[in-house]
Amino acid sequence: MRGTNRFERMLRWYPPSWRSNYGEGLVALLEDTYGTGKIPLGARFSIVRAGSIERARETGLMDRAASSLERQRTGSLLVLCGWAGFMLAGTLFAKFTDNWGASSSNADRGLVKVIYGTVQWAGAAGLLLVLVAALMVLPSLNRLARSGAWTSVRRPVLRAVGAGAVILASTAGIALWAHHLSYRDRNGSLVSYGVAVSCWSIAVGVAVAIGTSAAVSITRRLDLSIRKVRSLSSFAMALTFFMAVILAAMVAWWRIEALHAPAFMRNGIGNGFLVTSSSFPPALVVASFIMLLGLAAAITGTVRVVQARRDVGVPLLERPIN
Amino acid sequence: MTKRTAVTSVGLERNNEPSVLILTSLASGDKHGYALTKDIESFAGVTLGPGTLYGAIARLEERGLIAPTASEDRRQPYRITASGQAALTTALQQMRRLADEGDVRLRLRLAKTGRTRNAIIIRTAQ
Repeated sequence: MRGTNRFERMLRWYPPSWRSNYGEGLVALLEDTYGTGKIPLGARFSIVRAGSIERARETGLMDRAASSLERQRTGSLLVLCGWAGFMLAGTLFAKFTDNWGASSSNADRGLVKVIYGTVQWAGAAGLLLVLVAALMVLPSLNRLARSGAWTSVRRPVLRAVGAGAVILASTAGIALWAHHLSYRDRNGSLVSYGVAVSCWSIAVGVAVAIGTSAAVSITRRLDLSIRKVRSLSSFAMALTFFMAVILAAMVAWWRIEALHAPAFMRNGIGNGFLVTSSSFPPALVVASFIMLLGLAAAITGTVRVVQARRDVGVPLLERPIN
Repeated sequence: MTKRTAVTSVGLERNNEPSVLILTSLASGDKHGYALTKDIESFAGVTLGPGTLYGAIARLEERGLIAPTASEDRRQPYRITASGQAALTTALQQMRRLADEGDVRLRLRLAKTGRTRNAIIIRTAQ
């Protein structure tokens, strides 16, 4: 019995629906194979890997057996998650370049301004796409609220509203405090302010994650027409393009300014906290890392959308098993 | 392009994947998880991890290539369906074509290498 319990515990890696279909069979297999003996690491890894895949399939992220529309929808949501990362990283980049206009640089100012402007324009275009997409799903959201299915998304929505309220209140508090501080205090001299801003940044990150998770939960339950899903997935593909442009332009700006305005780069936020570097300012390293992760998620989502569009009308049996 | 369609038309893209091994094993009769693992080990020399095996079983059942049969205990036996038999037949034909092609090319190469070696030996002897 002790053995059975330990095998049943391993099933927790699988989603409940999968467990109810195949759980008993898998436990029986583990019992027959390992009995009261030790479960090898390879077998444990096999269960963890397969269970995680089943969970990913359940969310629609890996399932080629799901309908084309469902896969376009989940692909688009993955792009949205990537965009959430870009919003965070973009805020960090904006804060870093706060006083960049006043800095002295011997680089071709016109070119650097164009590159910096590209980051801003691509960011604005991406934000506009997300807002238009949100407006497009509003009628469906209204229908969801009226149908009584609201209870299924109430928890993530309330969590997102709560997180939003905390961020609003803390932003107001930080802004009020900053208003009474000197430039030096705001930029590293006052440790308590630095700690408060760091905590606020983490809170913003958590709030963006909670908000994105709520958006994903809601969108998965929305009743969207074929045309609307197609439009939204086209927006998602365009958003991925803008994300790639933002990252490329940001890295180009960073490279040029690291060469031509090292003093500005050395004085940016984050420098002096753990390291001081004009070539690799911590804030830009963190921002680009988050952007890379976001872009990877967006590209994965876009590939899924493209695959799903290609599979339209292809019967399930004719799609490769994955 | 035609060949690719032939393979994907049964949903078995890679011939060495667990799905083909499971279908091959079930072709000789219904089996549960443990029996499948042991059978595959004996005829293919491949040990499928428990997660891999059940992942493939779930996928095959989803596509109607295998189906569960009645069981008296926790062990769940599976049987191959008519679609599963058709899928396996196509996959095996594809594998056979590939094996035949490889065999022909290899024999041609060996014959060519043999001729060259003989020519060298003759030249050396002269």
